[in-house]
Amino acid sequence: MNTPKRAAFFRAEGVLVSRGVLAATAYYAANAHKFGERALRLGLVALSAPLQGLLGQNDRTLANRLAFLAARRMSEDRLAELGEEYAEDILKDKILDRGVELIKRARAEGHRIVLLSDNISEVMEPLLPHLPKIDDLVCNRLEIVDGEATGKLLDPVVGSHGDGRWAQGYADRQGIDLQACTAYGSHGTDLLLLAAVGKPCAVNPDFTLRRSAREADWPVIEYQE
Amino acid sequence: MRLSIRESYAGKHVLLTGASGFLGKVWLTQMLHNDSGTGKFYILLRRKATRPAAARFERIVNTSPCFKPLHEKYGRDLARFLSERIEVVDGDISQPGLGLDAETSARLGRDIDLVVNCAGLVDFDPDLRDALTTNVDGTIHVADFVEGCEKAALLHISTCYVAGTRNGRNGEVLVPDYAPNGEPFDAAAELASARVRIAEIEAEFETQEKADEITAEAKAQLVERGRSPDNAKLVATLVRRIKRDSLKNAMIEEGQERAQRWGWTNIYTYSKSLAESVLAPRADRLRFSLLRPAIVESALAYPFPGWNQGFNTCGPLSYMLGGWLRELPLRKGIPFDIVPVDYVGNGMTIAGAALLSGIHEQVYQCGTSDKNPLAIDRACDLTALAHRKHLRRKGDTVVDRLILARWDGVEAEIDHTLSVPNLRKVTKGVAKMMRDLPSRWPKMVHRGAKKVADKVDKIDDNLDTIERLIDLYLPFIYENHFIFSTDNLLKYDVVEEAFRFDPTALDWRTYWINVHIPGLRKWCYPLFEGRTPEQYRPRHKFALEEDAPAETPAAAPAHGGSR
Repeated sequence: MNTPKRAAFFRAEGVLVSRGVLAATAYYAANAHKFGERALRLGLVALSAPLQGLLGQNDRTLANRLAFLAARRMSEDRLAELGEEYAEDILKDKILDRGVELIKRARAEGHRIVLLSDNISEVMEPLLPHLPKIDDLVCNRLEIVDGEATGKLLDPVVGSHGDGRWAQGYADRQGIDLQACTAYGSHGTDLLLLAAVGKPCAVNPDFTLRRSAREADWPVIEYQE
Repeated sequence: MRLSIRESYAGKHVLLTGASGFLGKVWLTQMLHNDSGTGKFYILLRRKATRPAAARFERIVNTSPCFKPLHEKYGRDLARFLSERIEVVDGDISQPGLGLDAETSARLGRDIDLVVNCAGLVDFDPDLRDALTTNVDGTIHVADFVEGCEKAALLHISTCYVAGTRNGRNGEVLVPDYAPNGEPFDAAAELASARVRIAEIEAEFETQEKADEITAEAKAQLVERGRSPDNAKLVATLVRRIKRDSLKNAMIEEGQERAQRWGWTNIYTYSKSLAESVLAPRADRLRFSLLRPAIVESALAYPFPGWNQGFNTCGPLSYMLGGWLRELPLRKGIPFDIVPVDYVGNGMTIAGAALLSGIHEQVYQCGTSDKNPLAIDRACDLTALAHRKHLRRKGDTVVDRLILARWDGVEAEIDHTLSVPNLRKVTKGVAKMMRDLPSRWPKMVHRGAKKVADKVDKIDDNLDTIERLIDLYLPFIYENHFIFSTDNLLKYDVVEEAFRFDPTALDWRTYWINVHIPGLRKWCYPLFEGRTPEQYRPRHKFALEEDAPAETPAAAPAHGGSR
């Protein structure tokens, strides 16, 4: 009965934190167990960087999958510890104050807060204590076999065009009216997510999203940070 | 099978040996803190020099952090609480009759329901004489005492590694006259033969020939140090020291040879297995169980997370990985059977309760490799992560924070390029090169080269220590693949949650990174660095109350320590 029937969907990258997936994967790569591994993994991250740039404006599934290949054969323990370390030492300082304000405002308006992130749970979960209360965190998960990551992201990959469909399913499960919901995104990838809700908002949008927001007459927020 | 700890121990009297050791203390305080319902604990302690057993016990209670929960729970009232539940008995397991006088022996013989023999010498390669005295003779004396009691049963603490170098799954069985290599073995004959050999070695050291050899060595050492070899007093002192050390080394060598001959990993496991073999024939007249813990390490929760004491298996290995040693020979996938001391304490409690209730098994193994294995390479990765976590924030120097924190210790093959033996070849080569410079070179160069050679020698000494340490641990981290079944402890449905043993509940990552390695850093690493770990100072000092039972007369000087 008390559960709000409205939700606010926030894309973490660009709206709430100023670091994307590449920074996290580079951190993992640079802190692998052995020096040789570190070089190879960093090379992989470097290779996936142009793809992130190219696909960043659209569906990032492939780019995310490639980036997290850098975590292949990394132990679950290391993923968790480094994730915690990265969240505490780096990502925490990259939280955007304006994003935090948006969450607080949405909460005050009675929205259920849903955070979507391209990053993996090992990074995002330790970040939660530093954010205003988040009701649901939806992020990527690495496949773990025998205590080691296979490098494969489990489906559905967050950061794809499927996020809009996911939001629809979420609303159905929670009994939420999407037309009363808000969504904040900053990349072309978020187009379908923003289009799925009644009150979309582009935050620091990239080229693709800015153009679409203008055409659809969506509000645009520019952080001056 | 339902088992209530409080019902089993209600009003029962327990004699505990080895209460000054790591495991003994944790078990005793666990039982007291968790209100096991035990009638009385008789603590068998040997006096040390002029300090009687009761004074030793008071000192333990007042200094060991293990008693912290009891101090905090009872405060000023602890003296009354303990005096009502504990009687300290001056005795020594290395003596026949446990060194007790006739009156105390008779009284205990009537009262005791359970004897928990936790005393043991846990050094991997001690003097063979000490190992046999404490681990074998001690067990025989305890068993003799229990047989003489009216109703007592015996819980003897052994080790899973009595299995020796036998790979694979080791069941919970007591095999009489067991030898790991499968050859026909007679424990009594082996014991007798070892004693004969000990006497022979001792006799060799009493011959005039040996005395001359040692005196010559003492004089040579004095000359090397720039002292006069004609100083009779100095020579006599040095002769005594050399003789003592040489005799000890000869005993260690003899013990190692015997252990290896039959397939045990070291003198400790050899002597513990002999003790089991001397108990086995008594099964028809003595009610006893063996509890075999695996590698006992830091407490998960009791007396507090991370509590550890003294040198142990993980301590030196993890300490080395936190320094400049980066490659440790480990074989991937080998189970590293670590078990927190409070888990073992609960295992002992359960085994004791089963004995008291008459539903016991002959052998209980207490480890994790069966139900929740931790592979050695995972332990290495977790150790690196734990060091990283500490060094990044609390490293003493910039080098610690920036380099060591990011340079993980890794598993390697024995013949890795940077293995310790290979590094030693380099140090020896450099030292030799520095000492063998052409004589025509200037004196100044020779002086500088000598300094370098001396420094390199010191590094080589350190590497030698590390090499010997690694050799000691190789059977557990590289050579053998042990799995120890723990079905017997797990078959009991323990009513009281505080006393349950559940290895599957252990989350290795949390335990290793947040509990175990920080615990070692606090309680064990200082010992490696010649520092004293933090001492506990209770708010209210404990002293046994006046009307506590009087002590028995002092026993003869003794050997042995406790687990």
